[in-house]
Amino acid sequence: MTALLSLTDVSMHFSPEADSRYAVFGGINLTVEAGECVALIGRNGSGKSTLLRVMAKVFAPTSGTVSWAPGVAVSLLTLGLGFRPDLSGRDNAFLSCLLLGLSRKEAAESLSHIEAFCEIGTFFDEPVRSYSAGMRARLGFGTALMNRSQVILIDETLSVGDQQFREKAREALEQELAGHRSVVLVSHAEQQIQRLCQRALLLQDGAIVSEGSPDDVLAEYSASINKTP
Amino acid sequence: MTFNQTVTLVDTLARFHLKGESRQYFFGYLWWVLEPLLYVGVFYLVFEILLDSRQPDFLYFLMVGKLSFIWFSKSVNQAASSLEANKGLMAQTNLRKELFPLAVIHQGFYRQLVVFIFLICFLLMGGYLPSAAWLWLIPITLLQAMLITACGLFGALLVSFKRDFRLLIQLGMVFLLFMSGIFWDLNVIADMRLREGLLVLNPLANLIDCYRQVLMLGEAPNGMRLAWVLGESLLLLIIVWAAYSRLQFWIARQVVTR
Repeated sequence: MTALLSLTDVSMHFSPEADSRYAVFGGINLTVEAGECVALIGRNGSGKSTLLRVMAKVFAPTSGTVSWAPGVAVSLLTLGLGFRPDLSGRDNAFLSCLLLGLSRKEAAESLSHIEAFCEIGTFFDEPVRSYSAGMRARLGFGTALMNRSQVILIDETLSVGDQQFREKAREALEQELAGHRSVVLVSHAEQQIQRLCQRALLLQDGAIVSEGSPDDVLAEYSASINKTP
Repeated sequence: MTFNQTVTLVDTLARFHLKGESRQYFFGYLWWVLEPLLYVGVFYLVFEILLDSRQPDFLYFLMVGKLSFIWFSKSVNQAASSLEANKGLMAQTNLRKELFPLAVIHQGFYRQLVVFIFLICFLLMGGYLPSAAWLWLIPITLLQAMLITACGLFGALLVSFKRDFRLLIQLGMVFLLFMSGIFWDLNVIADMRLREGLLVLNPLANLIDCYRQVLMLGEAPNGMRLAWVLGESLLLLIIVWAAYSRLQFWIARQVVTR
């Protein structure tokens, strides 16, 4: 297996004076191999999203090293990246594709796929401010699927739209990710983690306290929640 | 992201923002010209009708100065706030941070091209005949775009350091409004050294004076004075570009976690 992304003794805090009260996590060691899906589990505020941003090159860690394999693109899967309410769904989808790193030609070619996938009919050419939350999520999901990065970081964005669309979105995403991409998934949806991931990590009190099969780590996570008063 | 992709992204961000912005208002794109004209109207009322400025052809004099000044002040103010305005995007992607102020500056450039076409039509209707000197308008406009880019990028960097700079930049624009000869002629300063010093220290005043020389007097501007503006803009541009190259992560952290 080839490591696409590795973190060595990575720590992060949001105070320039290294004040421990602002520490998010420390001593994180993690490797993401080609083609694997890793779940990152933890309570709200445990630092999962910040850790994803360190992996996505949004933040530099306070200490430690993050290395990406040469030429490997890593990005967060984001619904509605850069959406502007006064622009149509088509314009927003085009802009989002450019923000994802597609060329003008690729972005233009993607529009018909996005339009077909999100099933919002003529609303695709209407301003996004006229959309319902579900329609906006559909457009966001359809656009996010155009992400071509080899390592995809997902932060709880998979439950969108109604039951039928959720199923379609799940299938499309699993198809996109099958085999050739690596995924780090932050989620609280146990079934999703069990279905998609081969490995899970539990982030708690600023450190990775458990690593192993999704079933084992989820069990440990449930136990830790039940223990907390 | 390749250079071509970056250029496409900046251009699309600018054009789509203008499109979105125009949809928010009843008069839409008409505001590109209406807004600066209303400013000119207010200044004309105060300085010509109420205070009797005694400046020959004051309306044209004011329009050339004020329309160039608004381009500068609006672009720099908006660029200074652009990193903050895009903090959501910055939290999700590792795009180069200078893209955001550059998109805002590019947007102002599109708007100004329309304003300049309007200004030229207005001057022609006022009896100002075009001459070969008017071709100087192209390098002067490009120089102003360069100055705006340098100041806008610098302003955005300062605001990402501390939000307070946004207020200081707005205050600075009021100071520049009075110091750039918008509604008074810099050439009335009798002390030549003081006048030259002011033009060197304030490249915007220098450019506004050059616009008037070209459009109203039909004369070529002083090359040395344009070289000063070029040198000042280029120097600031090199400094801020180097700063952005070194501070990408720092900017994201400052803005996103604020």
